[in-house]
Amino acid sequence: MSDRTTLDWAAEPDGPVPPPTWGRRAPEAQVLPWVFAALGGFLLIGNLLLSPHLTAPALSTWSTIFVAICVQAIPFLVLGVTLSAAITAFVPPSFFRRALPGHPYAAVPVAGAAGLVLPGCECASVPVASSLMSRGVTPSAALAFLLASPAINPVVLVATAVAFPGEPLIVLARFAASLAVAVLAGWAWQLLGRPGLLRVPDAATTGGSSRRAAFLSAMRHDFLHAGGFLVVGGLTAATLNVVVPRSWLAAVADNPWLSVLVLAALAVVLSICSEADAFVAASLTGFSPTARLAFMVVGPMVDLKLIALQAGTFGRAFAARFVPLTFTLAIAVSVLVGWVLL
Amino acid sequence: MAQSLVLTLLGGALLRVSAFSDLYLNYVKPGFRVPLVLAGAVLLVLGLLGLAEEWRRPYHAPPGKDGHDSLDGEDPAGSHGHARGPRVAWLLCLPVVAIFLISPPALGSFAAARQEAAPVPRPPAASTGYAALAADRATAMPIGEFIGRAWSNRGRSLAGRRVRLTGFAVPAEKKDQWYLTRMQLRCCAADAFPLKVAVVGAPAPRPDTWVEVTGTWVATPYEELPKGTVAPALTATALTKVTRPAEPYE
Repeated sequence: MSDRTTLDWAAEPDGPVPPPTWGRRAPEAQVLPWVFAALGGFLLIGNLLLSPHLTAPALSTWSTIFVAICVQAIPFLVLGVTLSAAITAFVPPSFFRRALPGHPYAAVPVAGAAGLVLPGCECASVPVASSLMSRGVTPSAALAFLLASPAINPVVLVATAVAFPGEPLIVLARFAASLAVAVLAGWAWQLLGRPGLLRVPDAATTGGSSRRAAFLSAMRHDFLHAGGFLVVGGLTAATLNVVVPRSWLAAVADNPWLSVLVLAALAVVLSICSEADAFVAASLTGFSPTARLAFMVVGPMVDLKLIALQAGTFGRAFAARFVPLTFTLAIAVSVLVGWVLL
Repeated sequence: MAQSLVLTLLGGALLRVSAFSDLYLNYVKPGFRVPLVLAGAVLLVLGLLGLAEEWRRPYHAPPGKDGHDSLDGEDPAGSHGHARGPRVAWLLCLPVVAIFLISPPALGSFAAARQEAAPVPRPPAASTGYAALAADRATAMPIGEFIGRAWSNRGRSLAGRRVRLTGFAVPAEKKDQWYLTRMQLRCCAADAFPLKVAVVGAPAPRPDTWVEVTGTWVATPYEELPKGTVAPALTATALTKVTRPAEPYE
């Protein structure tokens, strides 16, 4: 799984400058509909002929859990992607620069809190943060926004409340811990970061396309990107669910310190979208609330797909420093908040 | 082109599961139907719009156009062009394939048996006391309520009353008993856990058979609630096979 994630960015930049697929584009576009028609026919026939035979209990349990995770998460993903695409397409970028205070240390908490009104999952927040930087927002403030917005936006908070019915403290703890980590990380970067480490991308052009086209294209791209990684997370979670004996997790779950670390590491590996990770956290029954809080705080800020996205957007030197900083802060703050609130 | 087709397939599969059948009840709670239908429709429309756009585009589209979408500068693998979409998106075909080829059933005895040793959270204790049961006939109730009654107030509300429970059969380790089981969801099938009632006095049906059991509660010998998970027991007086309910979870 990690291979696939790293491959996504590592393989591309060093390729030949005009990718060899360019010349073949037209034939490909001709063939694809037939491929999909064949696939559709295969699925319909397979539904009738094959599915009565694919009934091994382990396989069907695995697929039920896998499909359940995807089916549960996709509506939230669609909502988040729609809203973030609408903002990308319809809110002028200058608005954000005017809204932020001029002083960097003051701008960090404001930008972090701005994550509250800007819904989106972490895949969507990386491009937004990068465009904020390229339009003159202080990098540390944009980073605070990058960390905060996938964790504390209303869609995620509602999803968390749905996943933990009757436990409003979990939602509050998630909000407080995530915002604290984002602000602390922003200040830390303002204090310690060197200008050369962070590669600020050039301002993206809208290419003259209409707003409607920009909206649709942003929505399609964000959904496919995030959805693909959601499937990776669903596959891993379903496999862990079926393969790993419950007694192992129970053994880990009994140790409070180890369980926090294990769930934080699990959040990094699973790379679940922040709009869906509360549901996975809720399924990890047997772990302490603090460990599950760490899972939900670390997940939107550090995971395999985010590391890939950040390294690709801001440069590897940046990711190599920023990711460990965020990971450490996230664990420390969630232990603290969990100890106070839960 | 490819990404629009993936979206169309996924949207269609979501609608197939939620709008045109009850299959979604195998995966999520009943209240989730509306968001599922909406999401499926949005994805389908998005995919179809993209396909229509592709269709209208001239046959030899200039390939250089790919690199100048509004989001391109921020993409980690910006060179792979947006007309083809991120590669990871192909994985979105997997749930579609799983839905059609395996058509995953509701969780059954395999999942229930795996969680034998797991610490089952106590069903939400309606500690305010349960309504008295009718003395002259068997009362139908969810398995969760039966377990709640059995553990609250030392099962007084169940003593001497006949109840009727519906669930599927799971073999037990102990001889001459088996478990009548229903899975409970909190949000989706990934967090399901089994609610079990041990049935004595009736031959075990084949695993995963849905049955309706009428019987009386077996008073526990314990003074205190035992640690870990102990299923309350039921002496069966009648047992009938039933068809699987549309909503398989509690």
